[in-house]
Amino acid sequence: MIALNQIRKSFGRNEVLRGIDLTVQKGEVVAILGPSGSGKTTLLRCINYLEKPGGGTISIGGFTLDCRKHTKKDVYALRKKSAMVFQQYNLFRHKTALENVMEGLTVVQKLSKAEARSRSVALLEKVGLAAKLDAYPSELSGGQQQRVGIARALALEPEVILFDEPTSALDPELVGEVLSVIRQIAKEGITMIIVTHEMSFAQDVANHVVFMDGGVIVEQGEPAQVFGFPKEERTRQFLRRITPESSYSI
Amino acid sequence: MTLDYGFIWTAFVALLDVVPVTLAITVVSVLCGFVIGASVALARQFRVPVLSQLGAAYVTFIRGTPMITHLLLIYFGLPMLIDSVAAALGLSFRSVSIPMIGFAYVSFSITAGAYMSEVVRSGLLAVDRGQLEAAHAVGMTTAQAMKRIILPQALAASLPNLSNMLIGMLHGSTLAFTVSVVEINAKAQIVATTNWKFFEAYLAAALLFWGLTFLIERLTALAERRFRRYYRGGVS
Repeated sequence: MIALNQIRKSFGRNEVLRGIDLTVQKGEVVAILGPSGSGKTTLLRCINYLEKPGGGTISIGGFTLDCRKHTKKDVYALRKKSAMVFQQYNLFRHKTALENVMEGLTVVQKLSKAEARSRSVALLEKVGLAAKLDAYPSELSGGQQQRVGIARALALEPEVILFDEPTSALDPELVGEVLSVIRQIAKEGITMIIVTHEMSFAQDVANHVVFMDGGVIVEQGEPAQVFGFPKEERTRQFLRRITPESSYSI
Repeated sequence: MTLDYGFIWTAFVALLDVVPVTLAITVVSVLCGFVIGASVALARQFRVPVLSQLGAAYVTFIRGTPMITHLLLIYFGLPMLIDSVAAALGLSFRSVSIPMIGFAYVSFSITAGAYMSEVVRSGLLAVDRGQLEAAHAVGMTTAQAMKRIILPQALAASLPNLSNMLIGMLHGSTLAFTVSVVEINAKAQIVATTNWKFFEAYLAAALLFWGLTFLIERLTALAERRFRRYYRGGVS
């Protein structure tokens, strides 16, 4: 289980997160939506401390970190509870697809090479890249790179996988293959938090939808409720802009 | 003007004797310079208090003064320092027992370190910030990330500059003759004094330097080919 409590973050004078509380149950798939600048990516990056929050507490899988007082060790311990899939993939450029997936297993989790290798091969097969084990990132398409990124995250067997707009950098025709992989692993009961602009995907895959704006959570609930019967005016405005066909009639 | 081709060859063969001296000065100064330069670059990159300011001062002073001046400062300054320290500690060690080439090692390492720090720094800047984030995200410590992810990529990115540096130090090693180290250039002069055929002797030295430089260029090309597979274009 994940619990965020009063997470705050400012960049200079710009307050990006104004006290976020969020609870995610084990096995839940949470989609975070909101206009750009609403703080959703920053929130995600705070969960594994790629951004250092100004205050609040983060609990993942029984480990709690107080953002105001902690050691470096605490940060490393927190990061081991999660894995991240980046918008720009961020595969290690000097390592092959297989080495990218193995890296965390051998270096961080101290698995033997053979064990790490067999787990990594299985995961790359699962995301449909059995033929690309020895390819470098520069030899892969965006969609293939992102699927390696997903395999790399899965290999760590974290409490939660964080997806930061995983399809935003992709060519339109490559979005489908990545979404279908995410959809497949969502079915396996892996806890996920996804920041996305793909509304239909969020509606389809998420069990819980969070709508953020101006650094606060405006509304959250089941997808059917948030998408179908939004309570807040700001949510309604946002959804109208995203799905313009419903904003006018012929 | 008639060239004594035979003597060019004679000089060339004589110069081969001191190639190890030139190579030793080059390799020692580049390796030590790399260690110094990498430390300074990392201190500046991570904004380590005190060290980063000291590093910046070191780089601007050394790059702002000629290499031969460093050599002369070390040659005249270091013995004074060593002798006064040895005297203060009551040691019997005296600076006269230091071989001349030692001064070249020390001073050229200091020179190379300053330039090398910029080479390493540009390499570090060439690595996308997302690489460090990804390493952190899989649970690596910053030290692990630097060692396994960032530095190898930074090194690959700075390969052309490194080879430039190596060639520069190879040619710069000729300055060691000012503190009476007999390297290729000094040897050419010595060989020529037997029959005053300076042009032939220096021509032999030039050909030898060219050959060594060519070797460095080929080795760099080989190393680059190894890195090219992942280093070419594409998004991150």
